[in-house]
Amino acid sequence: MGKTKVSDISRAGDEQLLELTSLDWMTLPCPSDQPLSIRPLPDEQRSQIEHSLDGISALGIPKPTSKGEEDGLVQSFLNGLRKLLSHDDNWTFWQPLVYSLESCVKCQTCSDACPIYLSSGKQEIYRPTYRGEVLRRIINKYIKKGGRISSKLKGEEIDLNWPTVARLAELAYRCTLCRRCAQWCPLGVDNALISREIRKLFSQELGIAPKELHDFGTIQQLSKGSSTGMTPVAFRDSIEFMEEEIEEITGRRIEIPIDKEGADILLLHNAGEFLSWPDNTEAFAIIFDALGISWTLSSDLAGYDSVNYGVWYDDVQLARIVLTHAEVANKLKVQKILIGECGHAHKTLLVIADRILTGELNIPRESALPLLEDAVCNGRIKLDPSRNDFPVTLHDPCNLVRLTGIVEPQRRIVRKICPQFREMEPHGVENYCCGGGSGFAIMSSRNFPDWKMTVSGRMKFKQVLDAFQDVGDPEAERYVCAPCSNCKGQLRDLLSYYQAREKHSVFYGGLAELIVNAMVDLEQPFIQWEWH
Amino acid sequence: MAQMELAGKMYEVDEKGFLQEPEKWNESIAEAYAEMEGVVGLTEEHWKVIRYLRDYYLEFDICPMVRKLTKRTGVSLSRLWELFPQGPANSACKWAGVPKPTGCV
Repeated sequence: MGKTKVSDISRAGDEQLLELTSLDWMTLPCPSDQPLSIRPLPDEQRSQIEHSLDGISALGIPKPTSKGEEDGLVQSFLNGLRKLLSHDDNWTFWQPLVYSLESCVKCQTCSDACPIYLSSGKQEIYRPTYRGEVLRRIINKYIKKGGRISSKLKGEEIDLNWPTVARLAELAYRCTLCRRCAQWCPLGVDNALISREIRKLFSQELGIAPKELHDFGTIQQLSKGSSTGMTPVAFRDSIEFMEEEIEEITGRRIEIPIDKEGADILLLHNAGEFLSWPDNTEAFAIIFDALGISWTLSSDLAGYDSVNYGVWYDDVQLARIVLTHAEVANKLKVQKILIGECGHAHKTLLVIADRILTGELNIPRESALPLLEDAVCNGRIKLDPSRNDFPVTLHDPCNLVRLTGIVEPQRRIVRKICPQFREMEPHGVENYCCGGGSGFAIMSSRNFPDWKMTVSGRMKFKQVLDAFQDVGDPEAERYVCAPCSNCKGQLRDLLSYYQAREKHSVFYGGLAELIVNAMVDLEQPFIQWEWH
Repeated sequence: MAQMELAGKMYEVDEKGFLQEPEKWNESIAEAYAEMEGVVGLTEEHWKVIRYLRDYYLEFDICPMVRKLTKRTGVSLSRLWELFPQGPANSACKWAGVPKPTGCV
């Protein structure tokens, strides 16, 4: 097969633009270098579901059954695209979108920055500029005046047909929105934003979105209280259990306050912590108790779940959840919202919410990390680093580090309390995504999980192995510290997929757990490896 | 929605084979799921876990955190993985006829 061209996206029929094969992929260190394959969709799904991009289906888009249906969908796409390009309809992201569409000079600096492009063996369709160029050509030909003629003269071939639309929808979900491309672009073009705006078009105009992000995500969060499906009653039950656990560990009853009106801080955790990583929530409670902080959790609808999956695919859902979070904080009359170890909640509440919250809803919003840094580095709690004397490396969640710019607080903490801390390379704002960014960690339908383990998570897994290369003792537990629930989920699945616990003794967990593990007041270790 | 035959009857299941109508669950369904994963004959230890999951789900409309499951049943995490080949979420919840939690878990 020759080099895939931009115009190939319009190719009629089911033929895939890319056949994924492990022979092309970036090599992993031994013994993780055995060939792995992606399961093809079963025949029944192949006949019913769009898969003509690369044989993967993240979205499960049903194939239209008539030409009329296809034409209707293409028309909806075009209507949505006009809205994306209208300042009034897209006041949230119009400016950076139009800037990015108009400014790219196709120098391809971004391609060498993209972990998916590199891991996949430099597949054309995964280039950060590929989907942007498709969109640009559609706009130039079908939306701009005299576009058909000027496109022809410029040789910008593209046909806006159903295969183009279906492939573009899937292609918007082959980018983790890590924005490493934007970091490298000499002009500040944000190709990840283009991916995200394409997702928005599909969700808001065509009702096409991953069910994990929409039906079970934002819809469930706003109806039931949490994207996990946890109701306020179940939330209270989980918190009671955590208080019981804290008492067992510390020998003291420490209250985890809920709905305490007038507390200084409303702490927002990702509700995934309550189900999968309760020790992170417990660690925060232990630290806040030691610091004597006035704080509370909320049991209100969405008040106990910091997530806002809307930031990955839909502005309407994004705004609804941002407003709900601000209203919960106002109701409790707190001074500020503090965000726990959740990357995209940082992006949403610290950065994007500035475009949405005004007046009294514009309540101060901060990351918990500087507060933890102050506690550790200014001696506010008694810590003994020798309790963390095992190899530790730090994963930088893209939304927390590259996007929000919180780079040093977590490093100062681990440098201070983890004697065997070592950086991954590259790290900080130049980090690589865990491969589960933008919701991939929770998207698990059809054969998409195979893709996120073998392709999008490949670079991070290699970085993790490399970071511990010098550790002599094969049995020594190695800890990947990831201060983000989404990244933790992806790391857990990667370690399990590549059997890294068994083969390399690699474990993972959050940041607050490492702090509590070093607290001198505790008689027993806080970190129990079997849960990591 | 897909259908699956379990213990001689057809049931609605999701893509991963999880029962979509938890109220239609019975013990034969748990045994049928177990057999599909190569476990023939469920022990009292299996039932203790399955019953706890179901009771919790019926009360709270969600499965409990695995830590709570281990503490309340006395079945350790490593033992859970021995009893349920695909682990607490993918096997134990499925056999108990209750859905796994969604979101960042």
